[in-house]
Amino acid sequence: MWIYEVAIQIGSSISSNNSNIEGEIPILFGLAALLTIEGDCDHIMAAIECLRSHLHLAWQRCKKISALKICVNTQTPLVRFNLPKEELEQKHKELSRPLDLSSLGEGGDFQFTPGGVTRMVFPLLKRMLSDGIVEDAHWVSLNPTGPEKATVDRITLYHVSLEAEKMKGYGYIKEAIWKVIHGIPQKLESASQVLWQDEFSDYTYYNRLSAERIIWLDKEIDFDVFYIHDFQQLPVGHMLHTLKPKVFRWHIPFDESMIPPEWRQFLSTYFSNYDAIIVSCKKYLEALKSLGYTGKAHYVYPYIDPSSYVKPTESELAEYCRSFGIRDDDRVVLVVARLDPMKGQDRVIKAVASVVKDISNVKLILVGDGSFSSSKQGVGLSKAERWLNDLRILVKRLGIEDHVVFAGHLSQSQLNAAYERADLTVLPSIREGFGLVVIESWIYRKPTIVTSRAGIAELIEEGGNGLLFDPDDLLILAEKISELLTNPERARTLGENGFITSKRCLIDRGVKDESKVILELM
Amino acid sequence: MPYPVISYELLYHIVSFLGIILATWIVARVLSTLLGKLLKGVAPLVAVHARRLVWIFIWLLGVLFALEQLGLRIDVLLLLVGLLGAALLIASKEVLQNFASKYFSDVYIPFKVGDTIKVREYSGKVIEINPMSTILITDKEEVVSIPNSIFIRETVVNITPQVWKELIVPILISGEIDLAEFESDVLKSCNKLKLHLDERFPPILTVKNREAKSTELVLTLMIKEPDRKDAIISEINSKVAEIIERMQRKKK
Repeated sequence: MWIYEVAIQIGSSISSNNSNIEGEIPILFGLAALLTIEGDCDHIMAAIECLRSHLHLAWQRCKKISALKICVNTQTPLVRFNLPKEELEQKHKELSRPLDLSSLGEGGDFQFTPGGVTRMVFPLLKRMLSDGIVEDAHWVSLNPTGPEKATVDRITLYHVSLEAEKMKGYGYIKEAIWKVIHGIPQKLESASQVLWQDEFSDYTYYNRLSAERIIWLDKEIDFDVFYIHDFQQLPVGHMLHTLKPKVFRWHIPFDESMIPPEWRQFLSTYFSNYDAIIVSCKKYLEALKSLGYTGKAHYVYPYIDPSSYVKPTESELAEYCRSFGIRDDDRVVLVVARLDPMKGQDRVIKAVASVVKDISNVKLILVGDGSFSSSKQGVGLSKAERWLNDLRILVKRLGIEDHVVFAGHLSQSQLNAAYERADLTVLPSIREGFGLVVIESWIYRKPTIVTSRAGIAELIEEGGNGLLFDPDDLLILAEKISELLTNPERARTLGENGFITSKRCLIDRGVKDESKVILELM
Repeated sequence: MPYPVISYELLYHIVSFLGIILATWIVARVLSTLLGKLLKGVAPLVAVHARRLVWIFIWLLGVLFALEQLGLRIDVLLLLVGLLGAALLIASKEVLQNFASKYFSDVYIPFKVGDTIKVREYSGKVIEINPMSTILITDKEEVVSIPNSIFIRETVVNITPQVWKELIVPILISGEIDLAEFESDVLKSCNKLKLHLDERFPPILTVKNREAKSTELVLTLMIKEPDRKDAIISEINSKVAEIIERMQRKKK
């Protein structure tokens, strides 16, 4: 009898605001078990009912506590607008304020920016909103031609713009930092050369603008957590001047052996302003710790939302093949990557030139154009154009114009068709933070050949779910392409096993892992 | 029976007495409120006690002058108050020494919260500097409270790595000035002094406090040679002042 009374008392205290849920729920369970053992049948059902209702109340309160207001900051905006602000307003006279993207035409008025960061962050936020983990999401990014504010799928987008001169300086420095982290030799690479240039003050200026926007929003909205992405936004954590939790996600490679010693001080100064840092794989985590970062460090494999990657219809497939001159008997090697020397398209072109001698119907499809950094609506660097030109010259020099297709940017449905039609995919990057295209490929059960210098390489079991190669060894790459094209059974097995591995990098897991990192800080 | 007659003189003294008491109350309230505002940034306990002391002091004076109006001789009382004050000063000698030392150590002794220092047999990281004492955390995670007066009398060793290189320049700008532009101009100015600064540590501007009308910043630089410190501070301060003036003129 007295056990029942005690159980009721504890149950009542759980439903009050001052209770310690973690401590009292186990006690309630224990008491219910005791009642059962005692055989006090009259009170067992009542006690269980009491337990059930109080647990329900506790769960309701947990959900309420967990609904966060989050501010995300990336350089790359979620969308690129195809028209300047004024023309958009001219075209759609009754535009809402803020601009609701659902009232515009995707493809015509805007397009979603390609690239790993936005492809990950957007589904993450949408899922966190639908799961009730986040109640309010705001995303600040660089978008010089976009409207100041826009909304899409319950996410409010804020666009920071930079004048042309400062954009140039910012672009120059962030490219220099990118090259240093990727271990690419360049004319100016020491920290003392790069960080003391006037252009560095433009890089700081852009970050300060982002931070000021976030601070201004914070006054209005009172965020619970700030989630800052990638090296372009690294100083923002220092500039936010708040004790509220700040999480930083490092997307590009983090190889300690590549980073010159004098750069480590620069990095660790800014890292120390974050309460938690997330990198893309285990080996980057080790590198981060060896840099001296003492805060909470985690690795979370990047992820995609598989619902975006559906089987294309017959007509979509036919249209795709027709658009790029792919015949039924063609053996298709697919590379999906932005146009950048780092992505190593030249390497796979050279390897295919070798394969063509034995397999004459091989076709290399290169999907991708410039990144946001290369676009006129973005940072405006001309890297992509120059690289495309270099690749075309290479293809001509090797005499394989009939075997290489530069497909450019594809819409999601076209990309789905590209994966479906491919016989295999290659990730040929010289350095790669992770390599989400491999996961995309595995969703379509396609075998992949992956550079050993990508973060995703740690998920590859050679000969099990994929094949690895050193991007400097083009002979091996050519051999492996030939092997997969001539051994369909092996290709099929790799594809099937890859599909199983892909489950480690899907959004369900990603949301769970990222939410855990964020909620741990609450 | 005739009513007792109160002479005008007595009435005058009573009114004066009451007037002085009222004036004392007003002055005590006003000064106490002003002091509270002035001591806003100070530890609340110190502010409360300071206000209380001022309140007591003003009331003491006010009551004495009021009593004088009633014809009471206050010389002896004043003497007693004086002796009490002197006794209080002697009793709080140590406390006052610590307060004064805090002022000197702020200006002359180069350590700050976050530095690791060694004084007497104690060494640890400075986690707080208040008007009475400086609090350290030792390696063994013991909390050591060192009276500020010790820092004037004893040798203090700042063992923070590279602390001699660190130059911290406090800056105050008005809220109207665009922080991003200001920061950009300041960093460009610092680039011109690169020759005298440690290139591994580019200058960083940090916001310390933000209010509607003003922003407190701190510019952190790492110098190469300590003997150039004063010259660098002077140059930086002059550049910063130029930038502020230029930006204010642009606003107008």
